[in-house]
Amino acid sequence: MVSMHDLPPGKRVSGYFAQKAQVLKASIFLTRKLFFADPQWVIPNIIAPFVFTMVAFFLFQGQTSGSSFLLYLVLGSGLMGMWGTTIYASANSIGFDRWNGTMEATLAAPVPLSWIALGRVLFNTLQGVLNAVFILVIGLAWFRVGFSLVNPAAFFLASVATFLSLSSFGLLLTTVLLLSRKGGFITNSMEIPVYIATGTMFPIILLPIVYLPFAFMLAPTWGIEAIRIAALPGYVGLPTTYWEDMVIMAAETFAYLGLAFFLFKRVEAYAKRIGTLEEY
Amino acid sequence: MKSTEGGRGVLSASSRLKMAYRVFIGAFFFGRKGLIIWDSWEMWVMQIFITPIAQMGFFAFLSVYLKYPLSVTQFIVVGNALQSMSFSAVFAVANITSQDKWQGTLPSTMVTPANRVALFIGRAWFQVLLSSLIAGAGLLYAGTVFGVSFAQADFLGVAVVVFLTSIAMTTFGLLISAVGLYMRTALIVANIFLFVTMLLCGIDFAVSALPIWLQPLSWAIPLTYGVEAVRMAIAGASITTLLPILGWEALDAALVMLAGFGLFSGFELLSRRTGRFEEY
Repeated sequence: MVSMHDLPPGKRVSGYFAQKAQVLKASIFLTRKLFFADPQWVIPNIIAPFVFTMVAFFLFQGQTSGSSFLLYLVLGSGLMGMWGTTIYASANSIGFDRWNGTMEATLAAPVPLSWIALGRVLFNTLQGVLNAVFILVIGLAWFRVGFSLVNPAAFFLASVATFLSLSSFGLLLTTVLLLSRKGGFITNSMEIPVYIATGTMFPIILLPIVYLPFAFMLAPTWGIEAIRIAALPGYVGLPTTYWEDMVIMAAETFAYLGLAFFLFKRVEAYAKRIGTLEEY
Repeated sequence: MKSTEGGRGVLSASSRLKMAYRVFIGAFFFGRKGLIIWDSWEMWVMQIFITPIAQMGFFAFLSVYLKYPLSVTQFIVVGNALQSMSFSAVFAVANITSQDKWQGTLPSTMVTPANRVALFIGRAWFQVLLSSLIAGAGLLYAGTVFGVSFAQADFLGVAVVVFLTSIAMTTFGLLISAVGLYMRTALIVANIFLFVTMLLCGIDFAVSALPIWLQPLSWAIPLTYGVEAVRMAIAGASITTLLPILGWEALDAALVMLAGFGLFSGFELLSRRTGRFEEY
């Protein structure tokens, strides 16, 4: 029989950031493995945004044929894909622990749960970006739209910033759903309202005024706006400039991160105290 | 055992019918209690009141953004009101066998001598009622929020269409559930089907806008008839005028049910022979 002492020692690193980076790396790798082992990843990543895009295309084709409009549609579909993936994966990241029976082991690990969750959310958002790229390529090929951007550098910067804002929102969402056993259901219910609130397919200015504060509180709303300003010629959206959108998005992203880490600390302590996380 | 014919241990037809009815009633109540593990009032509110308006709102805003006339927006709103029932009618029902697998109750379910048709229809029946409620809420929103006129509507016709469509879509859920007996999970097929109905069933645009080769597929799905019929009923068509289209929908549902039963029996036989009910 192999004893604990016969096992090779794990790679130990010293220093706060090196330790956290090691946790993030392990969490990202494990999430990647679990993600591809479950064939359902195709639903939020490819099928849902693709069908929404096709429906929108049938609606769009009756009204417009301009390439700028079609690029708007394709960009919106890609962003919907990113959003869908982030929400779905964040809500289920702790839920999967419950189903797989790994909740106790995860909570008992000698690292804060927030860093494990951050690794998961980062991977999930990253594959959301890949999903957006996939939809973009399909959309551009299907609709035969040229991909000429107003400002490619600004587009790239806004895309990266939106990626980070989505990750921070995903992390915040995970804390909220840590204590709930209904993550899957809440995810399904949130998906379309979030598409609406962030203006993925139409400007949020169309929304009733009572809905706007909620839309403004979502950092990706500003990210989507910045992406469109950088991509579409003559785009008219909110009365903000590219840099104003970026600053607001950054401020909200930092607020999400701060709140998420604070909540994780509280929720993790609470979960360990009551010990009923796996109870149904 | 009573009511046997000639003491040969074979139940008479009326006894079998009575037993099937008892199984149906038992399964119906169990379906409400046991199947819906997230059975709480917030979930009910969300599913009945939030899901339809979110979906209707998304496509209505898209239509407004594209400057379609009000009649088109209302066409879209009514289609989505009825389609929003699919989450309950198809998705929840399709997961019956998968949930049995997750909860470890599949072998017990399969060894009961209960009538399979009565058992599974009973378990799904609750979703028929829930689906009707969801579609009802959707139509209520159509009238109150989106301004669809019900002045000419034949309310009996609308009610019959909603109820029949709930039953018809539930048969599709049962068909997918039968597939779930064989597959690791029916979630993927259910999700794909859910999204496909959005594209093919005349929800946001007429079926005639689809490529001709896709249109027969549209008419193979009962929801297509339901959506057409509910629009007719709202426009004032009487129940007698609706009879042909309702007849086609009922026939379609019966064929789907038959196919589902065939698949279920086949997979059950296969599972019993190989003894691999729950293998992943």
